[in-house]
Amino acid sequence: MNIAFWIISAVTVLGALLAVTLRNLVHCVLALILFFIGIAAHYFLLRADFLGAVQILIYVGAVAVLILFAIMLTHNVTGTEGPREVLGVKWWSGSAIAAVLAILLKKAIQGDALSAILPAGAKAHSSAAEIGKALVAGWVVPLEAIAILLTAALIGAVVIALEEIRKSR
Amino acid sequence: MEKIYQLLHALLPSVPVWTVWIAAFLIPIGFIFGVYLTIFAFTTLVERKALGRIQNRYGPNRVGPFGILQPMADGLKILLKEDIVPRAADKFSHFLAPVLIVVPGLLVYLVVPVAPGMVAVDLKIGVLFALAVGTVSVIALFMAGWASRNKFSLLGAMRAVAQVVSYEVPTVMAGVAVIMAAGTLSTLTIVERQGGGILNISNLFVIGGLAESARCPFDLPEAESELIGGYHTEYSGFKFALFQMGEYLAGMAMAGVTVTLFLGGYMGPGSGPGLVGGLISMFWFFGKLTGMIALNIWIRGTWPRLRVDQLMGFAWKVLLPLALVNIVAVGLWHFLTPRPVAWVVTTGWLAIWVVVLTKCNAGAALEKREYRYI
Repeated sequence: MNIAFWIISAVTVLGALLAVTLRNLVHCVLALILFFIGIAAHYFLLRADFLGAVQILIYVGAVAVLILFAIMLTHNVTGTEGPREVLGVKWWSGSAIAAVLAILLKKAIQGDALSAILPAGAKAHSSAAEIGKALVAGWVVPLEAIAILLTAALIGAVVIALEEIRKSR
Repeated sequence: MEKIYQLLHALLPSVPVWTVWIAAFLIPIGFIFGVYLTIFAFTTLVERKALGRIQNRYGPNRVGPFGILQPMADGLKILLKEDIVPRAADKFSHFLAPVLIVVPGLLVYLVVPVAPGMVAVDLKIGVLFALAVGTVSVIALFMAGWASRNKFSLLGAMRAVAQVVSYEVPTVMAGVAVIMAAGTLSTLTIVERQGGGILNISNLFVIGGLAESARCPFDLPEAESELIGGYHTEYSGFKFALFQMGEYLAGMAMAGVTVTLFLGGYMGPGSGPGLVGGLISMFWFFGKLTGMIALNIWIRGTWPRLRVDQLMGFAWKVLLPLALVNIVAVGLWHFLTPRPVAWVVTTGWLAIWVVVLTKCNAGAALEKREYRYI
């Protein structure tokens, strides 16, 4: 368990580091995919197999592909142009935000809210059924709100695309 | 896997535990490699023979009796070929893509049960795992096309990615319908629940599976007449063979998942637990798998290739709505109480939508055109 954790963590961190340090954008995305798969492996390790599979299905199968598509539509894919800014203003502001986020997450994870949901020492088991029940029972309103939001976004994207088609004619 | 572990542990109590663990890991892996790669090798032969028959020619018939040793000859030939990497290629990605493309195809077999209790890993979320892992091949396709620094490769890769991402949606939705009907995500349990005789054939899933593994008539990513070889234009030797292998393995994996989800898996007359029942179950599973592969070959031999816009339109305008309608139908079927009523209502619901979708998707009648020679 521990050995697997450290190996997977090392791969995940390596992927994340490569994703922000490599110059070629496509290489960055490939490193990001490595990171996504590492996270999925962590979920599997924690017996959250549903989350793990969904992580692969959505992040590796869809989000990464979407990013790749977006990159193919941009210039300067190879990252050879432009100055390389290390330890600039952006870097410092970004790391400040990351630090704040890390502290908040640490508080949330160590706080009472999570331990109330999952009592310490609870036996690990498959989570798909519980997640499904929780989604359609306790969290149905937030779920539907997200569904409506996503549908609105989808329709909005179609409307914008239609506008452009009309202009080009 | 746990069962194999327990069995080995009981049989050989004096052997150290870690060796038993490793053996328990290696036996299913060896089974998957041995059986499915053999099927792959002979599928190539059968496909070439069948296509030859359909196209009124002989097909391979020189190596061994009836050309039965052709796969070995192909393998040897391809191993001896020179490995060419374009000078402008992105070396690392170019190397990694053919390796990556084989992995998802093989991973899917982990959750496909071949006999009662005989599945490499009985995941609680087996179906989801199979569907999720199957989509990873997109990344390998993209890497191959992009790393080759070739216009045709890149075009093929873009087509492949767009196609796989589009067809993923209806395929997963078709799978959702089965999950709803069976009430479980475990492949093993789904097969067992189908024992009642629900023949839940879903063309949606078969079509989606064909498209996801880029088989004819959805083989646009490597349309030879338009794109030379598509994403594997710049690959030669064993790397090219790996691409072929990945493609066939993915196709067979989709066939295996289809058999598991819709055709009752290993269920059949005489199947059951125990040695004899297990062997009969395996016979049924591999028989059905072979049938699906034969169907794939048949479709490839007889159907023309689609156009790109037809392909995408088909995914989004026909398959996706049908998949959604199918989900509602399964819900109705599940909750309406007297069985006959449920069947009638579900069939009616499906029929209405099939008519509606046909009407909506009917192409506009062409205007009357006149052709004049001036």
